[in-house]
Amino acid sequence: MSSNDSRRWFSLIQRELREYRLSLVWTPFVLAGALALIMLAGVVVANQVSTFGEAVLSAILQAEGEGEGLELGVIIIDSEGKSASPPATSGLPAVPDASDPALQIERVPEAEEEAWNFSREWRFSPPGRGDRTAESSESDSPVETLNPLLQGVHMLMLLVLLVVSVHYALGSLFNDRRDRSILFWKSMPVAPREEVLAKLVVCLLVAPLMFLAASLLAQLAMLLLSVALVWRMGLDPLEHVLGNLEFARLLLDQVGGWLVTALWVAPMYAWCLLASAAARRSPFLLAIAPVLVAMLLESLLFGSSYLASAVQNHVPHYAGARNAVGFYLFGPDWGTLDLWSMLLGLLAAGLMLWAAIWLRRHRWEI
Amino acid sequence: MTDAIIAARGLSRRFGETQAVDAVDLDLPPGSVLGLIGPNGAGKTTLLRALLGLTRCEGELSVLGLDPRMQQTTLMQRVCFIADTAVLPRWMSVAQLLDYVAGVHPHFDRARAESFLASTEVTPKRCVRELSKGMTVQLHLALVMAIDARLLVLDEPTLGLDILFRKRFYEQLLNDYFDDGRSIIISTHQVEEVEHILTHVMFMHKGKSVLFSPMSALEERFVELRAVGPDVARAETIPHLGARTMLGGKALIYEDIDPDALAPLGELRTPTLSDLFVAKISGGQSHVVQ
Repeated sequence: MSSNDSRRWFSLIQRELREYRLSLVWTPFVLAGALALIMLAGVVVANQVSTFGEAVLSAILQAEGEGEGLELGVIIIDSEGKSASPPATSGLPAVPDASDPALQIERVPEAEEEAWNFSREWRFSPPGRGDRTAESSESDSPVETLNPLLQGVHMLMLLVLLVVSVHYALGSLFNDRRDRSILFWKSMPVAPREEVLAKLVVCLLVAPLMFLAASLLAQLAMLLLSVALVWRMGLDPLEHVLGNLEFARLLLDQVGGWLVTALWVAPMYAWCLLASAAARRSPFLLAIAPVLVAMLLESLLFGSSYLASAVQNHVPHYAGARNAVGFYLFGPDWGTLDLWSMLLGLLAAGLMLWAAIWLRRHRWEI
Repeated sequence: MTDAIIAARGLSRRFGETQAVDAVDLDLPPGSVLGLIGPNGAGKTTLLRALLGLTRCEGELSVLGLDPRMQQTTLMQRVCFIADTAVLPRWMSVAQLLDYVAGVHPHFDRARAESFLASTEVTPKRCVRELSKGMTVQLHLALVMAIDARLLVLDEPTLGLDILFRKRFYEQLLNDYFDDGRSIIISTHQVEEVEHILTHVMFMHKGKSVLFSPMSALEERFVELRAVGPDVARAETIPHLGARTMLGGKALIYEDIDPDALAPLGELRTPTLSDLFVAKISGGQSHVVQ
């Protein structure tokens, strides 16, 4: 019976992935491939080290820690090929403008704090993180080092994931009602409960899994590129790239991070599924309009904004620099989880799913 | 009664002001083929949906011993339906469709479905959206016939198909599917095409069951008299269900009448279903008493 059940669930999920093959399967991997290609182009196209290399190196260097003796100098090569080396000690002297064709990094002995700052100018990190890096590398909490760079890739993937899965949730209980193929689905011995739950599982687990896998592949590609890059610069890749990476921590953060995120955003997906099950014309409008109207009414009538803050808690948004890993697709830091808000959200999600199932069972005709 | 495929008492369904299904009684023994016949809007589809648990309804209802309103999912293990032509999901390929049904349906025999499809142009790689309407119906029928179900419900299964497809459809249904353990309900308004395969018939009009009878009993209950010349006038004085003009005279349909009394007036025969249907539905009010 259990093997039967797992086969059944496999079929249900497979069916979803096949219907949304383009957005759930192709998009993440094509996106990951495109990112890898861009990175590759960044390395290959420039015959000097590209800004990408610089970003990698600066990420490494800042993490190497203060006073470790690694120093950065920048040689700006102008169009005639003449080198001009800015004084390494002068803080932020000749900051190269973005159009400057080539930047070369070389190893300069003698560490100095200002040159350190200089490198910071090109540091690749999500907005709002800059000031925090130094302080938190002292406190032992998050992984810094190369991880911010990889987190940037990951962040992009998560944003696309968000768009794709909301689109999926809004369509999944509506499209088959519109084209009447629901009559076929209903002729199969699959309960509405199973249908709706399968779609929720796709939103919360399967689609993220696809994007996480693609994201990890892209990050791996990036890592290999930086190894190649560092190696080309005559540095030891083992020490400078791999040594600066806590792979297990990264994996745990990204995968575990999503699982916690899933608990927070479950109500949003449940709401989208409910809108999808209830809509007669546009699930999108049905998902957006009532919430906006209710928020407006609440603020007009009571002057309060409980709903708005509840919504804000459970809708993914940029979490700002305060977050443990820089970017998470949910509001509160999961160090400071508001457990009640999460539980209430899950309760609401349960109710909305129940309603979606009821609608699927009894009010499926458009 | 206990092993009846369907037992319904006073089945009703109302949409706002319209009584779509009005107190229908239905008892269907196993191994029967029921033709559900009625004009558009007679409530056929609503009745079938009620039997399948797809819509709410009032009244007593048991299908295969289950209440479709409460146990729809379980019911679908032993009941198949084709609700309409071309409701197969258009984005799916034939192979994907087979994968899905094989994955979720405990009584589906994939090899059987594939052998049904082998003789058609419906190849596994093709996508449902590329198939013609006729091929879509072939595919759906192949799926349904490969499921070991006890009841098959077909709601206007051949609507919009050409005559060759329709003939083939019913032949295949009868030859490859139907047996003593199975029952089929077909709703249609193309009466002639199903007449020869039915064991039972129900006429529906404005939500009501106007007639429900085994086909074998129709012979005894109804008689058609073809009268010519002066006999027409005499025949018309006898209460009848309906009459239609034919070459040189009239054909009148009588219910529950002694054939011997009519014999002198002309040629007697069993009315065709469509003539009977027309007489029952349109002739009903005006001709019964004259």
